[in-house]
Amino acid sequence: MDIRAEGISRRYFRRTGEANYFEAVCRTDFTVEAGKVTVLLGRSGSGKTTLLHMLAGLLTPTGGKIFLGDTDLYSLEDKALSEIRNKRIGVIPQGRSVIDTLTVLENILLPAALYGGESRGQEALEWMKKLDIAHLADSRPTELSGGELRRVAIVRALAGKPEVILADEPTGDLDDENTALVLSALRDAARDGAAVLLVTHEGEAKQYADEVWRMNAGTLTREERN
Amino acid sequence: MNKRMNWGACAALIFSLILTVGSRTFLGACAHEDGSFGACHWANQAMFGLGILLSAQSLAALPARDERIRMGLLIAEAMTAVLGMFIPGTLISLCKMPSMVCLSTMKPAMLILCAVILLATLAGILQARKRAK
Amino acid sequence: MKISQLPVRNLTRKPGRTLALICLTALLALSVFGGSVVVLSLRSGLNSLENRLGADIIVVPSSAKSQTNLKQMLLQGTTGYFYMDRSKLDKVIATDGVEKASPQLFLASLRASCCTMPIQVIGIDQETDFTVEPWIEESYTRKLELRDIVVGSQVNAGIGESLRIYGVNCPVVARLASTGTGLDTAVYTGMDTLRLLLDAARDLGHDLKISGDSADVISAVYVKVKDGCSVERVADDLAVHVSKTETVQTKGMITGVADSLAGISSTVTALIAAVWVLAFTLLIIVFAMMARERSREFAVLRVIGMSRSGLAGMIRKESLMIGLAGGLAGIALGAVLVFSFSTLIEQKLALPYLTPSAGTLALLAGLTLLGTTAVAMLASARAAGRLSRTDPGTVLREGN
Repeated sequence: MDIRAEGISRRYFRRTGEANYFEAVCRTDFTVEAGKVTVLLGRSGSGKTTLLHMLAGLLTPTGGKIFLGDTDLYSLEDKALSEIRNKRIGVIPQGRSVIDTLTVLENILLPAALYGGESRGQEALEWMKKLDIAHLADSRPTELSGGELRRVAIVRALAGKPEVILADEPTGDLDDENTALVLSALRDAARDGAAVLLVTHEGEAKQYADEVWRMNAGTLTREERN
Repeated sequence: MNKRMNWGACAALIFSLILTVGSRTFLGACAHEDGSFGACHWANQAMFGLGILLSAQSLAALPARDERIRMGLLIAEAMTAVLGMFIPGTLISLCKMPSMVCLSTMKPAMLILCAVILLATLAGILQARKRAK
Repeated sequence: MKISQLPVRNLTRKPGRTLALICLTALLALSVFGGSVVVLSLRSGLNSLENRLGADIIVVPSSAKSQTNLKQMLLQGTTGYFYMDRSKLDKVIATDGVEKASPQLFLASLRASCCTMPIQVIGIDQETDFTVEPWIEESYTRKLELRDIVVGSQVNAGIGESLRIYGVNCPVVARLASTGTGLDTAVYTGMDTLRLLLDAARDLGHDLKISGDSADVISAVYVKVKDGCSVERVADDLAVHVSKTETVQTKGMITGVADSLAGISSTVTALIAAVWVLAFTLLIIVFAMMARERSREFAVLRVIGMSRSGLAGMIRKESLMIGLAGGLAGIALGAVLVFSFSTLIEQKLALPYLTPSAGTLALLAGLTLLGTTAVAMLASARAAGRLSRTDPGTVLREGN
């Protein structure tokens, strides 16, 4: 299912020059289409993560609306929105995003446990094998490297077969081999029908993209591809 | 010297020292004016000796390089602590009046200290066992 | 893994943090439980003293005041003896306003063997007694034969055993219920037995300062005043009519104890309050610090779809478990300390001290547990509230 932003913007209050706020994301329309990998490029601080958080239902936009299919995300109560995020959106946040008190496998199965849905054990195991972390299932996050932690977060997002995948710098901590592994995994998810948004500052991701957007100081532009 | 501290043995040492010093000071049994000694005095002497033994055992367990040796020492100390709980009143009888200092102070203090030392050594044994694996 | 297990995992897999929080809450429970048990014990000690001192006035020889402190004798069980002529009893009975009067005869035993203290032996007149007899009747309904003795709860002698007092073997026929007062360390017997013991002591060469026959002396007269008569008036009359005696009003003694009790009560209450304010503040700070430290963890939980209320519920469950664990640990520790050192506490406070009934203690433990848990949850509620109000997006950005 597509996820669509209509006229969204986000301001942060911060004294910059004349104004006492700055526009992290300027008013914009943006769609991540189902079955495609959309890559969003831009320098750090350009507003990519803010946009991704708004799409994920994690950050209320200052203006505009986000639709998942026909559902206006921010018109929902927190409970309903949380459940949508759990069941239909897979978010891979930037940086460290695992719970240290749980093992790797418990971390990966945690989203399924939240709403008592059917266990995603089988899918999880397949993804873990694909991303080469199956042997770490019973390890504690503190024993893992940055790259391994990253892949745990990716498997956690993918194991639920979400309709939308929002990945924030998923290859940031990875070597070339693992980067290729992760990007092709996201590619596969799109092929299975998911709408995939890949936010990155590395141009390499372009070769996996169906669509490329660029963000500069809060303004989105679509990059034409040949 | 093992870099990783065994907190159980450490706590056991502290309480063993309290027991040792206490039996000579604030946990003493009453002496009689005529210089005669009652059973409670000998119980107090036994406490003092046990306190030294317990302290020595924890001292020996602290720097042990091999976790299994540490475990052995702590097991011995745990059993000594159990013995300590039986000294006042059970193995060595005390005074007849509940209001006497040996019954009002010495016996409960000894029981509590030995119980705490026992718990501390048990914690130390668990910690050592985990590391030995 | 079920989601309901998550709070347990969070606690058990961060043992250091959890232990620190449990210790803090245990301190709360320990202070309130330990302190309350002491205060309640003093209060029930006072009640039992009031019950046991059925007399309004005690008449003793004027020499008694210089020899023994009657208050100490009753409260702490120090020994003492003094004698006056039996004829004083008749004069007391003849005084206006006296409803009942009964004599008692005192004797202090020698230290029988090593590690025993001198014991106060009290002889009562079973015909007229109205203070000790009702108490004895709780455990022994037959009449005391010659040489039979009844012992207080603090005297280490069982029924069937004998105590040897001045060479006379006295079988113990009953043990009395504990009162928490000095009366517990005494031995009670009939007048005849006590006279026998007096004579035995004199035969052994102890000078009890008795001139004449032991049958002609008594130590004290316990007086109950008629309803409607002023105790002060009767005491004054007694002082005038019965020469060479002193009167002690038990009400004054009880008021003195009650005053000390009130003082101790307020000190203990102030201490408990101080501990609670301190520990509560600490708990709020610790929970706030913990929430900050764990803000990223909480944001991640929101990212994978935990709702605000779910997150707040998780924090609530964690603090509930900490409160329960800390409360139980504190109560257990308080019980071990207060109960094993109760004799020492009683001696140091020098007041009647009687441990309350099991029901009262259970109620107190329940209330303590409830209070501690409530405080732990309250302290975490602020942190939980603030957390769930922030957008997880903001937290995730800050963490980078």
